[in-house]
Amino acid sequence: MSLKITGMIADIQRGSLHDGPGIRTTVFMKGCNLRCAWCHNPETVSFEPEELFYPGRCIHCGGCERGCFSGARALCGRLMTVEDVTGEALKDQDYYGIDGGVTISGGEPTCQSGFVVALLRKLKEAKVHTAIETNLHCSPEVLVRMEEHLDLVMADLKFFDSARHRQFTGVGNEHILRNLAALTRPLILRTPVVSSLNDTEEEIGAIARFAVQLPTLLSYELLPYHPLGLSKGVGAQERFSAPDKDRMDLLAKAARECGAQVRVRGRVSG
Amino acid sequence: MTYRERAALLRARKIEHTFEKKKENGYMDVDDYGTVPLPEGYSFTPMPTGDKPFFFGAMGNALNFAALLDTHPVYVDEMEILCGRWGDMLPHYRGGSFEKLYPYDSLEPEQALYGINSGIGADAHFACDYRLGLALGFGGLLSKIEACRTRNPVKAEFYLAEEITVKAIIRFIDRHIQEIRCRLKDETRPEILNTLHEMLETNINVRTLPPCTFLEACQWLSWFFIVSRIYDRDGAGCSLDALLFHYYVRDKEKGALDDEKATFILANMLLIDTHYHQLSGEDAQGRDQTNRLSYLVLDAAHWLNISVNLTVRMHPKIDPAFLRQAVTYLFTDRNGWPRFSGSKGLMHYVRNPGVTREDAVRRIAVGCNWMAVPGAEYPMNDCVKINAAKIFSLSFDEMMQSGEEQSLDNLMKRFDTHLRRAVDVTAQGIRWHLANQQYVMPELVMNLLMEDTLERGEDISVCARLKTVGIDGVGLGTVADSLAALEQRVVLEKRTTFREVYEALQCDFAGTQGERLRLMLKTSQRYCGGGTLGDKWANIVSLLFAQTVANQPLSDGASLVPGWFSWSSTIHFGKMVGATPDGRHAGAPVTHGANPNPGFRKDGALTAIATGIARIQTAYGNPCPLQLEFDPGLTAEEGGIERVEQLLRTHIEQGGTLVNINVLEKETLMQAHKDPSLYPDLVVRVTGFTAYFATLSPEFRQLVVDRFISAEEA
Repeated sequence: MSLKITGMIADIQRGSLHDGPGIRTTVFMKGCNLRCAWCHNPETVSFEPEELFYPGRCIHCGGCERGCFSGARALCGRLMTVEDVTGEALKDQDYYGIDGGVTISGGEPTCQSGFVVALLRKLKEAKVHTAIETNLHCSPEVLVRMEEHLDLVMADLKFFDSARHRQFTGVGNEHILRNLAALTRPLILRTPVVSSLNDTEEEIGAIARFAVQLPTLLSYELLPYHPLGLSKGVGAQERFSAPDKDRMDLLAKAARECGAQVRVRGRVSG
Repeated sequence: MTYRERAALLRARKIEHTFEKKKENGYMDVDDYGTVPLPEGYSFTPMPTGDKPFFFGAMGNALNFAALLDTHPVYVDEMEILCGRWGDMLPHYRGGSFEKLYPYDSLEPEQALYGINSGIGADAHFACDYRLGLALGFGGLLSKIEACRTRNPVKAEFYLAEEITVKAIIRFIDRHIQEIRCRLKDETRPEILNTLHEMLETNINVRTLPPCTFLEACQWLSWFFIVSRIYDRDGAGCSLDALLFHYYVRDKEKGALDDEKATFILANMLLIDTHYHQLSGEDAQGRDQTNRLSYLVLDAAHWLNISVNLTVRMHPKIDPAFLRQAVTYLFTDRNGWPRFSGSKGLMHYVRNPGVTREDAVRRIAVGCNWMAVPGAEYPMNDCVKINAAKIFSLSFDEMMQSGEEQSLDNLMKRFDTHLRRAVDVTAQGIRWHLANQQYVMPELVMNLLMEDTLERGEDISVCARLKTVGIDGVGLGTVADSLAALEQRVVLEKRTTFREVYEALQCDFAGTQGERLRLMLKTSQRYCGGGTLGDKWANIVSLLFAQTVANQPLSDGASLVPGWFSWSSTIHFGKMVGATPDGRHAGAPVTHGANPNPGFRKDGALTAIATGIARIQTAYGNPCPLQLEFDPGLTAEEGGIERVEQLLRTHIEQGGTLVNINVLEKETLMQAHKDPSLYPDLVVRVTGFTAYFATLSPEFRQLVVDRFISAEEA
């Protein structure tokens, strides 16, 4: 009996219009190796299945142990095989067209690299466009194995200064910078912009100057922080605020002046 | 003033009219129709026929039509280049004359039992062949009537009625000619004077002669649209681009027309009436029919950006630039037009008896959900409906009360039996209609542009070559999800029993434990989830419905064609049905058309709904439309247009027949729902038709809001 590779999946979203080019299926891996203070997907941080609780949905039927159907308690995380996930992704293959496909997101996909590489390989065998959303805090070997089956890398760089990176994400950015420089696949570099943390022209300018030197860079994207995660029912997050439009325009300008093609939330800026 | 600037003024006037109409009539949960408000003091009193207190028959209808046209206000707007509008119509005064003359009491109990819209006495809902009218003009039609009468003297009354009808139309045009002359006396602006002169000359020419120019052809068509509305509310248009192309080419070659003027003329025609028109499509050899006019019609609709009903027929060889343009306007103008039909799925029409491939190619989109072969078909489409949710509910109750085995097999046997009975009762009603409609309300206006009507002296309901009568099922999602919930929660998981579900339905899921059960059922595997139990049952139910309808014998060469479409009557049909095992409360709306229940998937994936609906197509050529309202959360420059086009292409390639689509901004929709006056020009495709959101009742606005899918939420 052969062992099937399984991955811990938080969710699979079909018909996604926002996770890369075209119409896509997005596979959210569960578990992350960073602890971003503003994380908007806190349910994907832990590598274990966990129960989310939304007290507002409870109807107080007293039947918790017999199963919850109100949505007050919801399980996040299930083990799935490569075949299961591929099967789900191929349901929409007809819609992918020339640029759509599958995006592996998270959580952090590189943390389950064995599964993700097997999944990407399977998807490429089926001639599906593949993309990954990653923090690139991984070993070079993992990256090389993934890139073999990837068409597009969407990677985050939150702070250029490693100490600040460590302060707000729990890890320094040395691996990330090294991996970005070593990429061989087309790259969209992104920075989630959080007020009072990294929303300065100096910070964004430093990242942009680094970005324009990257050999495979397609564009540099600024993503204004949104507080969606605060309603997701796992623990309490430290509250941060979203930068306003004027601030985003200013940051985009600073990045453009470094020579980067800049997008703000997917939209070409300037 | 440029034509484009004048179009903007027409748009502003249109919005004023909309609000006057709302003030006059209250909420309007129907197509906008392009009507104008009636002046204060206007009234019409119909003349009864014989000793009856109402009018009927060929002469009764002809005389009243003529009297109404002679009374109806004229409409000339010096900003326009075409004239005419309508505000009143004869159907307002007919008052159920069919059932008074030809009662069908014996059918009524079962029609009520199964929630059947019988279609008995329904008017219009077929399509004219406008080529016949453009070739002859009104004078030519009078000559044709005379020639046919000479050959067929026993049908004297029919011909007299048709003659009265045409002469009334000509008089109606004459009154407009007088009005234009009056306006000319006071007009001083040179460019307006020029167009008023053109308008005058055009109408003098088309009152009896066949149209020769592009402008004349558009004015002639507009007259026909207006008078056919007034007679029977007909809204079936034509393949505008193909029909008008040779006029356009000829005038361009003569130097008498440029694209800006042609666009303004087309915009004026779209403003006059919201008739359903088709663009593009293929010919019998599979060649693309897109031409320069296809683009100009889209541009005309874009200039106005009002309530219009244009359908782009997609097929494998469609001009990709044209399709892109159509999707671009859908995406950027955000007023619910155009919509899209699909050749691959629609060509299944050839499966019906007597239908050729050429018929299927010529069968164009001319109604909310429906298609018709111009000039040849009498389909009664969108008039006849069976409430499948009611049949399901009845079958379930019967099983539970019988003391017999409680199982899905038993339930489906009963559903099958009742469905067969419902289709049989519906067929009897259609036979009754086909036998008697000619004596109640012959289609005196549309008959003029149908094959063999004048030649034989017969109403189209009698002599149509193709009597492929459509029957739409209602509530597919409600039935499929009910069966899926029972299979998952009762049969597979054994979390509950048929008895517990039945008892909860009887008290509409009362109490906390009732609500718990309702949520348990509601969170079972839904139709359009993608490979779910709901999808499985939707396929089974749709196939059963399609076969039952298509195999039902009719008579006189007629046959029945299945589809799934509720129109916007989900509220009406829902009120007939108690609580259902999909977790739906008693009396709540049933599912819309072929659409799933709202919340069918957590991610609301557009791809899942598109695939689910493509798979349940009845495949006899009548549509099971995909109704979509969504916020892509993307701009055009972010690739939104390409994504919407890809979604459409794939659904159509999978066999989808019709996509009624609204691309909206969620915030706009929600604000407009709260305070409609904030968005007076927001147009939505309610079902097959478009309407101003602000004129819809709160219930109808809620329907649109409930169906809304936001990609941002996904």
